[in-house]
Amino acid sequence: MAPKRIAREGTPTAATAPAVASTPSKITVKPSSGAQSWDQVIMSVYNYYQSQTPQRTKLIDVFMAFLVLAGGVQFLYCILGGNYPFNSFLSGFGATVGQFVLTASLRIQTTEANKADFPSVSQERAFADYVVCSLILHFFCINFIN
Amino acid sequence: MKSFLSLFVFLFAAAVHAASAGGDRLLVLLDDVAEKDVYSTFLGDLEGRGFKIDYETPKSENLHLFHLGERVYDHILFFPTKTKGLGPNLTPNILVKFINAHGNILVTNSASTTIPTSLVGLLNELDISLPAERTGLVVDHFNYDTLSADESHDVLVLPAPHPLRPGVKDIFEAGADDVLAFPSGVGHVLGSSALLNPVVRATKTAYSYNPKEQGDVVDPDDLLAAGQQLALVSTFQARNSARLSLIGSAEMLSNKWFDAKVKKLGGDKVGTWNRAFAKKISGWTFQEIGVLRVNTIEHHLAEPGVESEPNPKIYRVGNNVTYSISMSEYSWDSWAPFILPEDDDLQLEVSMLSPFLRMNLELVDKSTDASTYTRSFTLPDKHGIFNFLVNYKRPFFTSVEEKNTFTLRHMAHDEWPRSYAIVAGWPWLLGMFLTFGGFLLFCAVWMYSAPARPTTTKKTQ
Repeated sequence: MAPKRIAREGTPTAATAPAVASTPSKITVKPSSGAQSWDQVIMSVYNYYQSQTPQRTKLIDVFMAFLVLAGGVQFLYCILGGNYPFNSFLSGFGATVGQFVLTASLRIQTTEANKADFPSVSQERAFADYVVCSLILHFFCINFIN
Repeated sequence: MKSFLSLFVFLFAAAVHAASAGGDRLLVLLDDVAEKDVYSTFLGDLEGRGFKIDYETPKSENLHLFHLGERVYDHILFFPTKTKGLGPNLTPNILVKFINAHGNILVTNSASTTIPTSLVGLLNELDISLPAERTGLVVDHFNYDTLSADESHDVLVLPAPHPLRPGVKDIFEAGADDVLAFPSGVGHVLGSSALLNPVVRATKTAYSYNPKEQGDVVDPDDLLAAGQQLALVSTFQARNSARLSLIGSAEMLSNKWFDAKVKKLGGDKVGTWNRAFAKKISGWTFQEIGVLRVNTIEHHLAEPGVESEPNPKIYRVGNNVTYSISMSEYSWDSWAPFILPEDDDLQLEVSMLSPFLRMNLELVDKSTDASTYTRSFTLPDKHGIFNFLVNYKRPFFTSVEEKNTFTLRHMAHDEWPRSYAIVAGWPWLLGMFLTFGGFLLFCAVWMYSAPARPTTTKKTQ
């Protein structure tokens, strides 16, 4: 019963996944089924994610997690060690943030649940856009560090 | 033929033996040309050093200091004269003009004559005050010569001059025990001009008075000066390095006092040091010693691996530069390397409107007639029009002020350190390249992986 209910409500939330978090953050709990403890909620979210999301989307999510980690480490170094070559900090941090944004938009355009929102954008077209924009981002970053 | 040859050799020798760095035409002014026998040893010493002496009286008509705009004489020596003025050819204005034209003057006074008004006017211009009534006598009841002035106490026995403070060049080089006799002289008081230097000051117990008017009592209000405020021999050096010396007693240059013996109260009989003192003071005044000359100044870029032209007009901020200056000092008859006195420094300033850098130059090289002072340093970080300034003004040395202007430009856009050279930025560079690598890996895996199963429209059969 629990997975089915969440399956009904998990789909719309998965489709509108916000760019920041890769797991759905809104869980509406139907009052009629009674209160559930938080760890159970999180476990069900995680299980649904593992079983329902396609392989390619999971690949995107792993890449985005890696980018968050890389950006976080660079920002931590900036706080601790100062931002002396400021250009370098902006390039490095901006590369991770920009790549994250582009990857998020790729995810939006390629998840199956959103197919209705993008009738004229095929998977390949989305991926090609993503590659071109990423290359422009990389070109900018290389130039900016002098 | 032989006499012509010897004459030629004599003239050549005379031309080679240069007297002073300022020229050798000396004018001696006396009341009566026969008086010069009184000073014959001193004048003979001057002639021996190469000076060509003209003896004149002040009021003579064909005495001119300037002819067609140029000085006729290089130096003037005033002996005491009994006249009140010195005539129309030696007004204070003309004498000041003579100093401005790099002429040197040695003035001597005597208590037996009043000082001419022209000289009083000239010395007033230089901030030296003479006694009222233009006459006076310096007396000391404790440091007088008991052999010659037992009653009148007007022959002072003074220690030979020594440098006033460390770092000042000792041009007199007197021994610790040498004494000077200062017979019947006139003292003077120096103003606060920075160009004046006292050489011999009166002892603490000396004072100056006017024997005619203050024979019994000296009223403190009428006292010119007493003790060490009373200067007996002083020097003045103008900003163009022309020199004037004032010797309060002309008799101390006379033959009698050159080889006299003096005896202080409770002391021994000693010979006076007057002859050596006369040589040194006249040598300084007539530009034979203490004359500096800057030979060359050279600055160049000192970056490793870069050939640099000497004295470029433009440098860049943060460049390493070497500056060197070559200086000589004239010593009696030839140029010698200039060695700084102990405790003194030759300072270089790198300044725009105010100094950005100040450092002492170090002696690195000495040749037979010049010494080189050098320093290597890094230029400041501010761009602009800068000067290298060497400003060396010391007592008894000619002024040295050398200014070289250069431009200091910004860093060019390609002279900044490259990003990979800045170690502090390596974490971010690494992060950026990891992002690129991750992107490539992601693209490879994406293209290799199968697309998500499209939601097939169920074929309704």
